[in-house]
Amino acid sequence: MKKLIAAFGLALLITGCNATTPEKPASKQAQYEAALKNAQAAVDKAASVGGEWRDIRWKKSKKKYLPSAIEAAKAGDYDKALKLLEIVQFQAEAGYKQAMAQKNAGPRF
Amino acid sequence: MKKMLTLLLSAGLAATATQAISGPKEDLEKFRTHFEQRFPGIQLDDFGNGPYALDANKRLQWEDMEEFPPYDVYVDKGREIWETPFKNGKSFASCFGKDASKVRPKYPHWDKAAGKVVTLEGDINKCLKANGEKPFGWKKGKIAHLGAYLGYEARGKKLNVVIPNDPKALQAYEEGKRFFYAKRGQLNVACADCHVYYPGQRVRGQLLSTALGQPTHFPVFRAKWAKKGKGDGMGTLHRRYGGCNKQVRARPFKAQSKEYRNLEFFHTYMSNGLEINAPGYRE
Ligand code: HEC
Repeated sequence: MKKLIAAFGLALLITGCNATTPEKPASKQAQYEAALKNAQAAVDKAASVGGEWRDIRWKKSKKKYLPSAIEAAKAGDYDKALKLLEIVQFQAEAGYKQAMAQKNAGPRF
Repeated sequence: MKKMLTLLLSAGLAATATQAISGPKEDLEKFRTHFEQRFPGIQLDDFGNGPYALDANKRLQWEDMEEFPPYDVYVDKGREIWETPFKNGKSFASCFGKDASKVRPKYPHWDKAAGKVVTLEGDINKCLKANGEKPFGWKKGKIAHLGAYLGYEARGKKLNVVIPNDPKALQAYEEGKRFFYAKRGQLNVACADCHVYYPGQRVRGQLLSTALGQPTHFPVFRAKWAKKGKGDGMGTLHRRYGGCNKQVRARPFKAQSKEYRNLEFFHTYMSNGLEINAPGYRE
């Protein structure tokens, strides 16, 4: 029993330690890659129903959040990239929901 | 119970079926009534003058402008394009017929064989390709010059879009209608919000025109499109659609995309009976 508690404690210590060590660049990168995949899928889904908004990736947009995120990641700034992807994710999901909600839009008269 | 269900079901089906059949005509009547009630002092054809029908001061400035209209030179360019033979010796008349005044009133129309809405711009480029010529760009330049000439020649003739009683044509019409009434973009605004419910109001200093009458005067010379880097001022209807999608922060569709062709089908049908007064001048 004592042994067990000790083992458990050790395990806690290890995981605890792990959590407090600053994240390595590799894990930020993995986080970015996962977020990028999600965001791209969400954008494709919005586009498939004609609900894509202007500033996600359209070539003449001044913001181009998605290409900007990819650029930031290329330059190693994963924090910036993740922030931009959060906007992309939100806008893509909102655009999709909007298009769905407006599927039967018609005149009010 | 079963009987009741079939009764309900068939009643429902019958209702949707008749709705689909009588759709465009009823839509048009309601659309007209809306604008007649909203602007009882404006005659039908005057809606084709956009914001200038709604504001006396603007109208005076515009009438001055129309004495020496900046689009004249592009009408002449368009005439030249129309008359200049292709390398194979044929010309646009071989595709559209000799009478230039009869071209513009045919568009847009439903092409049963192709199962799609055909626009004037689409047929211009189709004609060029069929004759071994390079197609024009879709939104400005030569396509708009030729359109300006064909519009000018057709002045006074009425818009008369036919929505055939063909399920695919009706679907294209319905898609155009939905596009027009659907809120879109980050600002969540529909074409109809600006051009049906709030015409006469100002958006960023611009007076909103009525959707009724908008397609009569395209292509258009716009002062804004004559600024550096934007072109010579002339632009097509789909160029304008793109601009109006952009300003509500929606991603614009490509000129001549299915979305915009279907929109043009619905949008122009709503102005049936109004006189063509292309090309127009706008701010
Ligand atoms: C936020 C408001 C707004 C929305 C939404 C909007 N427009 Fe516009 N639109 C304008 C303004 C402002 C102008 C310039 C003034 C005018 O002519 O109404 C304009 C001009 C136009 C014109 C040119 C009118 C003319 O007389 O030359 C057309 C055509 C047009 N809009 C079509 C559309 C269509 C179709 C949609 C939907 C895809 C749309 N607009 C959505 C604001 C809007």
